[in-house]
Amino acid sequence: MSGKLWKWGGVALLLMVVWDSFTTPMQPGWVASEVDKSDANAWLVELSAAGHPLVDGVNDNTAGFQVIFKSESAALCAEVISVEAHKLVCRLTPPDTLPRPSLDAFVMTPGAGSLMLRNAVSVAGAVKGVPHKNCEIGQMQPSTLPATVPFQPNILETIRNLMFHVPMWFAMFFIMSLSFVSSLLYMRTGDIKYDQRADAASRTGLLFGVLGLITGSVWARFTWGAWWVADPQLNGALVTVLVYTGYRILRAATGDDDRVPRLAAAYNVFAFILLVVLLMILPKYNVSLHPGKDGSPGFNTYDLDNTLRSMFYPAVIGWGMLGYWIYTLGLRMIRVHRQLLNR
Amino acid sequence: MLAQALHIARLEALLALRKAHQLAAIAMFAVCAVYLVYQADGFGQQNAWAAQLWVVYLFSIFSAAGRLFDREQGPTRRYLQWAVHPSALIGGKLLYAAVLTGAMTLLVFGAFYLLLGAPEGANLSLLALIGAGWWGAFSMATTVTTVTAIASQTRAGPAIAAVLGLPLLIPQLILATRMTRDVLDGLAWTTSEHFVFLGSLGLGTAVLAILLFPYIWRS
Repeated sequence: MSGKLWKWGGVALLLMVVWDSFTTPMQPGWVASEVDKSDANAWLVELSAAGHPLVDGVNDNTAGFQVIFKSESAALCAEVISVEAHKLVCRLTPPDTLPRPSLDAFVMTPGAGSLMLRNAVSVAGAVKGVPHKNCEIGQMQPSTLPATVPFQPNILETIRNLMFHVPMWFAMFFIMSLSFVSSLLYMRTGDIKYDQRADAASRTGLLFGVLGLITGSVWARFTWGAWWVADPQLNGALVTVLVYTGYRILRAATGDDDRVPRLAAAYNVFAFILLVVLLMILPKYNVSLHPGKDGSPGFNTYDLDNTLRSMFYPAVIGWGMLGYWIYTLGLRMIRVHRQLLNR
Repeated sequence: MLAQALHIARLEALLALRKAHQLAAIAMFAVCAVYLVYQADGFGQQNAWAAQLWVVYLFSIFSAAGRLFDREQGPTRRYLQWAVHPSALIGGKLLYAAVLTGAMTLLVFGAFYLLLGAPEGANLSLLALIGAGWWGAFSMATTVTTVTAIASQTRAGPAIAAVLGLPLLIPQLILATRMTRDVLDGLAWTTSEHFVFLGSLGLGTAVLAILLFPYIWRS
């Protein structure tokens, strides 16, 4: 019974994570702005939002919303005209002077805290200088929304992929380490059960590697605009998947030759050590698009908030357990196959 | 006639599919070469030049170091197993690979430079370019020698060496291409940080090979 408990526990954990990550709404945030300058003295600025609705109900009201356009020390209040679930329209009197020719929008909302959009309005004609500050900034209100996943300008709703893509690589690394240790043990003892373990683990690990590549590719298409980009992390991922494909082909091509376990073990040890070294060296000194690497902010620093954490850690454990379960099934298949051959 | 030819073609395809590793080797060479060129994409002429050079090196290194265990079959193998320590055997092969790739670098680079010339705007030092080529080729030759040692123990032949070795060569090729780029930018080849990485990779691989080889050499 206890043997089944952790398996179903892992699956339950994963189901919970999947449910949570897809049902938790995203913190609202601005994605675009459009400025209607047809009236030279009163520009209409339309901000479009994504994520949790700004207001609910049909008769929307603007109470509690305050829009301030800022440019360094300059701050200009705008008059809020209408607010819809994912749209806010306000009227702005264009300034004659500005420190720099663009304005960032800061919107105080009654429920979702303060939401910013950089360079929301460009003011090409303004003379350089600081205009008269024409508004008082109200008290910042913290967000009172129920649990939300954070808003990231380029990532948007795809942030939920964090529960799939990243833990899949973790699971792959965990299972490949298992394979490596099994190969080492096989080299030491010559016991065929370790070879079977290394075999089964490399199969499962490769599965997770391919899943990691696919989920990553889909994510890259959305956030970076291409299915594949020249990035050290991606080089490492490709190399890892190819190396273990090579390992699988070595086992398949040489059939049931009794030297295969030994050769496979030697290659596994050789490749794993090289991979660890290469994957540690290569991404180190090169700018990566991945979060947390040089040149881009990490999920850890400000955007892995408590809501994401409460899903991410169970996801890591859940995928790890599922991977281990798949591995034990694969191992059982290999053993049965061998028994049938020996009959 | 035609029917026979069609039959032979069908037979070839069937046998190739049955020995999937040979198709995999072809695919691996293609992916590896394309990926190397892809890495250089969008960085201007010098990078394209360096990538081309290393694609040529890649195939030369494979044909040079990939044949190092061709003779160790049958009686020769049994004699060597009796006569020398396996670590000495692989150590000797690695030394020979270093010399062989050195000579090969001269030849490849000479032909490449003669026909393609230098990239525009390069700060050219032929000696540094040859040095960088030899250093990268040596680093890769250790990897190729090691996987060839493994592949030669199977009956699947050199195709397996390509399948096992090329994935591990991709990072080394990227490093080597970058080192060549640094040299084209006017850096001395020994001061490039890639010099240290490639050197430690080559030496590390050699040490691993010497440790692991006795194990695969036993019959």
